[in-house]
Amino acid sequence: MDFYPRPFDREFGLRELLSGVSLKRLGDSLTLLLGGGFRLVSDTGEVLLDGCEGTGGMPRAVIRHDLEPLGYLESPHAGADQLRAAASLLEFMMQVSARYYMASELHIAAVQENYEELQQQHAALVESDARYRALSESLEQRVQEQVKVIESAHRQLYQAEKMASVGQLAAGVAHEINNPIGFIRSNLGTAQSYVARLQQMATRLKAGGGAAVAGLWQAADMDFVLEDFGQLLGESKSGADRVARIVADLKGFSSVDRGEEEVVNLNDSIRAACNVAAGQLNGRADVILELGEIPALRCRPGPINQVFLNLLLNAAHAMERPGAIRIHTGLLGDTLRVRITDTGSGIPEAVLPRIFDPFFTTRDVGRGTGLGLTVSRDTVTAHGGTIEVESRVGEGTTVTVSLPVRR
Amino acid sequence: MAEFDEAARKLTVKLVYYGPAMSGKTTNLMRLHDLLAPDLKGEMMTLDTQNDRTLFFDLLPLGFKTPTGWLVKFKLFTVPGQATHDGTRKAVLSRADGVVFVADSQRSQGVNNAESFQNLEDNAKRVGLDFDTLPVVVQFNKRDLPQILSEQEVRERWSGAPWPLVFASALTGEGVRETFKELLQQVYPVLDRYFSIGELHGMDQAAFIGAAMGD
Repeated sequence: MDFYPRPFDREFGLRELLSGVSLKRLGDSLTLLLGGGFRLVSDTGEVLLDGCEGTGGMPRAVIRHDLEPLGYLESPHAGADQLRAAASLLEFMMQVSARYYMASELHIAAVQENYEELQQQHAALVESDARYRALSESLEQRVQEQVKVIESAHRQLYQAEKMASVGQLAAGVAHEINNPIGFIRSNLGTAQSYVARLQQMATRLKAGGGAAVAGLWQAADMDFVLEDFGQLLGESKSGADRVARIVADLKGFSSVDRGEEEVVNLNDSIRAACNVAAGQLNGRADVILELGEIPALRCRPGPINQVFLNLLLNAAHAMERPGAIRIHTGLLGDTLRVRITDTGSGIPEAVLPRIFDPFFTTRDVGRGTGLGLTVSRDTVTAHGGTIEVESRVGEGTTVTVSLPVRR
Repeated sequence: MAEFDEAARKLTVKLVYYGPAMSGKTTNLMRLHDLLAPDLKGEMMTLDTQNDRTLFFDLLPLGFKTPTGWLVKFKLFTVPGQATHDGTRKAVLSRADGVVFVADSQRSQGVNNAESFQNLEDNAKRVGLDFDTLPVVVQFNKRDLPQILSEQEVRERWSGAPWPLVFASALTGEGVRETFKELLQQVYPVLDRYFSIGELHGMDQAAFIGAAMGD
């Protein structure tokens, strides 16, 4: 609303207060009441009704409103009482009229006041609504970010706990096994030297022992026994060495004591992963290592080892019939690239977008957590790298891990 | 601020009776109409509904001529007390030269009185009146009823307030003149400061108040 109401308590003029009545009819009535023509003038000299001849000097009655004279009723022939009565009548009319004007103008002022107040409230509401909307939008986003952080931390924690228990177990086993393996290897070494001495003894015995000894020697096939004895001990010793190495790898791999960053060569990590996974790979796949010259990488070895083990085991599990797993490492610019290619069953296209989702697994309940690739991606991302998967059903899968040398 | 019309030689002073619903504002004006006898006294204009609630306002015009021939006109208004008529209250209150706050002495009306007084203070600021310097008289009305706060209780409660307290029973007319006089005593110095009533029109405070009340 653009108009400004006039103050309801302003002063009114004679014309304004009579504007609601027909002056003609008023004049006719007053003419009858006053017994002839008359004149109605305002206090400012304006003539509202002029029904008689003559100028000044006529008898007149003052018409008051709100204490003040607003006009005069003049008539040359009416009596003073008549004039007074007619003026009173007009005053009544004007009072009624003023009452109406004041009420209506006050009403307009009040309505406009309320309207402006409503508009201000509305504007304030719109503003606060916009503010809350913005807040709620960013709130949702912030909650989602926080949820992601928590989920990621949760997975890392889960994996770390798992690795810690594996590591503790491995450390315990290693400690228990290292002792017996130690004396087994030592004893086997001693036994080998004993066999060497037995062989020297046999040579002399055969030379000076006569026909009877030679016959018995032949019958017992002692030449083969002695030779095979040495070989058996050698094989046993290398077997014991392998046990010792596996135990050491398992312990190192689980990195129960390696949470901090270290500078490691990824080729060593891959070899360790292969050793740990050897049991699951045997008979399923041949591992072909194509390890290039790569610089050492500053990383957290435990999680990184876990990434390669996860990928290796995934590849092994993808084998429906014996195949090959090819592991290639190389440097491309400032990025280390590890590519693990298998000849397994491949991943269906429908499944491919979901393989990194937490708890997504195609394996039977209890066989896989559905966290392997999720945690692997978390780890690689935490190292500033990326992990990509290409797959064709029936041909195999290639997983490429890219890690920046400098972060 | 009072309206000063040089051409018409007229000074119009607006006085407003404010307060909670049914506290006796209209009754105050009706009694003043009966009790005062100034030179000029107009008809009282009331705009009430059938249940005696003031819908818009009541108006009582009073006036007198100064020795210098000027017209001093008082327009006494009441406001509607009900909460819903706040827009009307604001319009009536605007440009007021003085306010009588008519409080209801009944014990049950304490909250209504407080809310209405707060509303007066808020609205005074909204319509551009300086509430710190605005002449205000607080009238505790309905002294004739039972279950009312004692004068001592009222004085204790209002002891920290700067406004004069008057006890009244508008229905019987008691205290009504005194309230109006108390207000004029506060209004006169303000008018005198702006319009030099004493100096230019030869009216000191006593003469001014006497003329206004018709004593």
